[in-house]
Amino acid sequence: MGLDALKKSLWVFHLNTGSCNGCDIEIIAALTPRYDVERFGIKLVGTPRHADVLLITGPVTRKMKKRLLRVYEQVPEPKVVVVVGNCGSTGGVFYESYNLVGPVDKLIPVDVYVPGCPPRPEAIIAGIAKAWEKLERMREKNER
Amino acid sequence: MLSLAKQLIKQLFKKPETNPFPSKRVPKSVIKFMKKVKKGEAKINEPVKTPPRFRGRLIYYEDKCIRCKQCIRVCPANALEFDEKNNVIKHYVSRCTFCGQCVDICPVKALEQSNEFLLADYNKNAGFLEPKEKEVEKG
Repeated sequence: MGLDALKKSLWVFHLNTGSCNGCDIEIIAALTPRYDVERFGIKLVGTPRHADVLLITGPVTRKMKKRLLRVYEQVPEPKVVVVVGNCGSTGGVFYESYNLVGPVDKLIPVDVYVPGCPPRPEAIIAGIAKAWEKLERMREKNER
Repeated sequence: MLSLAKQLIKQLFKKPETNPFPSKRVPKSVIKFMKKVKKGEAKINEPVKTPPRFRGRLIYYEDKCIRCKQCIRVCPANALEFDEKNNVIKHYVSRCTFCGQCVDICPVKALEQSNEFLLADYNKNAGFLEPKEKEVEKG
């Protein structure tokens, strides 16, 4: 199977690692009829085992570290990790908090960052499009 | 019954409310589509218009700036940094909360917020506001 499995609809699993819910609401807003990402075949799934893309919001709290790693391992290969919001990419306003184990990229490899606090739904869609482009480039390399 | 028929006819000719942001459907190859966009053969649909006074990415006018560093002091996320070497302010987009406090406190209006918000990238320091080439020429 390999990367051909990711040619069409990307299924997304959303994980909140201590976010304030701002980014989560924007992700849900991207699914509403106004933006409607389901026309691309993107949909939210209930379990990481069904997902192609892991969408992470929030700085990683100490309690969430173990769960994040577990969810990351549960997503089948090939996978893409997209961080939505500034908390996940750098820590945002919580950068010097004592109960954070650092931004997401300290723990797992991240492919695309979507800056914003929170990002607009379209910024998230643009991020997913970037992830798509990256997957395509990977696929081209594999074919050669 | 008449109102029902009216409503039905109205619905028949109504356009969908969805804003087809990058494209209406997924292109067969995203890379090829992006190349076409650069050439001008294909077009990316515009995103939904931002509201007035939208707080997006910062614009920095270094010739207006008096280097008082008040914006650095007021920033809640420590997204601004003073670059001693080039004598300018650096701004980390991926740490900024877009609160606009730096813009409000600036006494000479050297900072401004644009309505640019499509900032997704593979590198988290990509949105980093670097000193312009003009400054380099002076030095």
